Amino acid sequence: MNDKNSQKNQESLSNDVEYKLDRRDFFRKSAALSATALAGTSIFAGTQAMADDPAIMNDVPWGIKLGDPVTKNRYGMPSEYEHNNTRRNAKLLSSGNWQASIAMCPIHESEGILTPNGLFFSRAHGGVAHVNPNEFRLMIHGLVEKPLVLTLDQLKRYPSVSRIHFIECPANGGPEWRGPQFNSIQFAKGMMSCAEWTGVYIKTILKDLGLKPEALWMLAEGSDNSEMGRTVPIDKVLDDAMLVWGQNGEALRPEQGYPVRLLLPGWEGNMCVKWLKRLEFSNEPFYAKEETAKYTALKPDGKAVQHFYANEVNSVITSPCPEKPWTDLKVGDLVEIEGLAWSGNGTITGVDITFDGCKNWIQADLKGLILPKAWTRFSFMYKYEGKPLVLGSRAMDDAGRMQPTIAQEVAVMGVESVYHRNSIATWEVTANGEVNNVQVRS
Amino acid sequence: MFKLDRKSLVSISLIAAVSVGLTACFGEATPGAVSFSNGSVSHTYANGKAVIDGGVTYPVVANKTSVYFVNPDTEKGGYTYGRTPTKNELDAWSKSVTPYAPPPEGSGSVSDGSDIYDAKCVMCHGDFGSGGGGYPALAKGNAYKGQKETLTHQRGITGDEGPIRVFGTYWPQASTLWWYIKEGMPHPAPKSLTDDEVYALVAYTLNINEMKIDGQLVDDDYVLDREKFLKIVMPNKDGFVPKIDGPQGPDNARAFFSDPKNIGAQTVANRCMKDCIKGENKLTRIKIETKDFLPPISVARDLPKQEGKADSNAVAMKHYEDSCKMCHGADGMGAPVVGKKKQWAPYLAKGIKAVYKNGINGINGMPPKGGTDLSDKDFKAVVDYMVSASK
Repeated sequence: MNDKNSQKNQESLSNDVEYKLDRRDFFRKSAALSATALAGTSIFAGTQAMADDPAIMNDVPWGIKLGDPVTKNRYGMPSEYEHNNTRRNAKLLSSGNWQASIAMCPIHESEGILTPNGLFFSRAHGGVAHVNPNEFRLMIHGLVEKPLVLTLDQLKRYPSVSRIHFIECPANGGPEWRGPQFNSIQFAKGMMSCAEWTGVYIKTILKDLGLKPEALWMLAEGSDNSEMGRTVPIDKVLDDAMLVWGQNGEALRPEQGYPVRLLLPGWEGNMCVKWLKRLEFSNEPFYAKEETAKYTALKPDGKAVQHFYANEVNSVITSPCPEKPWTDLKVGDLVEIEGLAWSGNGTITGVDITFDGCKNWIQADLKGLILPKAWTRFSFMYKYEGKPLVLGSRAMDDAGRMQPTIAQEVAVMGVESVYHRNSIATWEVTANGEVNNVQVRS
Repeated sequence: MFKLDRKSLVSISLIAAVSVGLTACFGEATPGAVSFSNGSVSHTYANGKAVIDGGVTYPVVANKTSVYFVNPDTEKGGYTYGRTPTKNELDAWSKSVTPYAPPPEGSGSVSDGSDIYDAKCVMCHGDFGSGGGGYPALAKGNAYKGQKETLTHQRGITGDEGPIRVFGTYWPQASTLWWYIKEGMPHPAPKSLTDDEVYALVAYTLNINEMKIDGQLVDDDYVLDREKFLKIVMPNKDGFVPKIDGPQGPDNARAFFSDPKNIGAQTVANRCMKDCIKGENKLTRIKIETKDFLPPISVARDLPKQEGKADSNAVAMKHYEDSCKMCHGADGMGAPVVGKKKQWAPYLAKGIKAVYKNGINGINGMPPKGGTDLSDKDFKAVVDYMVSASK
């Protein structure tokens, strides 16, 4: 604790700002508090003049009558008061209609690292398909000795594994290559969510099918409107690729590909093909529409990166954010700066945060579960001073990669890539605690 | 346990640098390395090759991968579920069209393609593939010129013009177009076109992109067949990295993503903590804010507004805005435009019942119920709204 703080103080650029309470402070303040409490002065002084809070003084309506019977809402719903915690859409992010579009996850309201199934971001290219599970068939064919057809029940007979992984659209943040556009974390970073997925490793199924040595690629194709397909290298198939049917303890939602989707942990959400229909093994790639016309990143030299698999290391501060500002804080309040870090290349190893727009950095703490290719929470305690800040975060992973600055990323990728933008995100905190989306582009 | 200081991060990247080609397990007690209580982590697969995406993998050691325990007996195979597909079943689902799996025999002319396009495609893709209403454009002038001259455009860096990324200028393979039209188009009624119709639409798409096959311009009289189709060379065929074809394909990808410089990535070796920006940092604020959010952003914890007996006209208007306006909101989409009385007259002359019926069942470019899943009653209310707004 002391070591860490002294290191932070060394690395902190503005030593005049006391960002963290050290241990000595803690004892001094507790002593002061107990002294005042004993003396019965300052802390409760003046409260006599305050009006009593009706929320305390009055009986509440729900406390003086019977509640709902437990037979109501057999599938439970959130409190009506939580109706604003919802997915949102923007016409700008649609290709003509709401079927080829995206619903953004309210990550400012996300607690912990699991996204409730009803709030999981949802992207479709030809609408959300409603598959009859009794007519679901999965075909595995191509360069295998023994092609196979499975029903849903047969697939679910395979031994299951459960893994917590994020899924992110590689266009997350894509509208902001040329500058900030949304004063909203939901729209700036909400093309992602994280869940516990249950299914079977594809390598487990392949054990009995005799994969031919010349097989280098696997086509995964959906049964939806456009038969959305993507080519997956065999390396990933034999590493951690899964066929999943479970999402946070229940069946996949239709928006996530009910009854079965491909899960390629850490890789482009688009590759995690939904409403899955078949897997075809081949010695050559397939050049499906979404891996050529889209999901390729055009660089300034006119060449485009194709097969851009992993969503690279990334992070964002979720509190404060434009939707969750600091306008209610008083100078001197202690407040937790909190955020999400994730990497499709591996596991988060650390997150730094900046208060001065990327000039100086200080290490934050990680908290909770720290899992490969999963949302990881970071935390930093800050004493609010009511002065302008430019807050940002920078994550690192165990592959040895770190988020680039905007200048570093743009120098290589330009501003027309659309996909895979993982440079450092920053919020401007104004003197009165409002939070705006800004970019540090030097 | 997981805390890294700067020194250990530097040493991780050093380990990473030497570990390609051999499995490196960051053990608990490796001095200077990350104390990875989560288990083994490796930059290489069991076969010794680097992880293809430039990241790491978590080999199973002592029945654990990362923090997850595994039952080793599940990994041995011996499963007998399912059955072998029949030959007909395999054929029915093996419909990929790729550079290595050509389309079936067939043919279609530019002229037929133009007719089909006007009936089934123009309402979304616009006249001559110009795009519209957010739907993708299919052509923007001469493909060869666009490919050569615009793909290096970077809006805000090299001017105000962006690159042109339509079929002709950008797509590396014509097989993708054939496959996608066959399986996914028309958007509201996919898998409804014959092979010959697909050839015709491909011919038309080549025509509006002013493309050539084997030196011959795909002009208005051109007839495309399978043999000619296989000779198409896309202008931007070599515009993509890494090269994924052939036996070296995956290894090319592996080499490409292992080098952070190829994708603008940074390594922890470059972690800067102090004075990382010299002089003033340049702050960019939102210039034109996008806020057409549905629903509007709010974090209030209150009861939702009672929609109650919402004004049915307002509901119909919303359905129109969401689902119909793309085609019925502007000229050039081949559909009668709301607000333009003259355009609706020939349709209404047949009687409102005919308008309902054609709308519900679909006609020409109009998909059944406009591609919505509205009830007949709700759909008719939308028709009523559109008609009344066009009087």
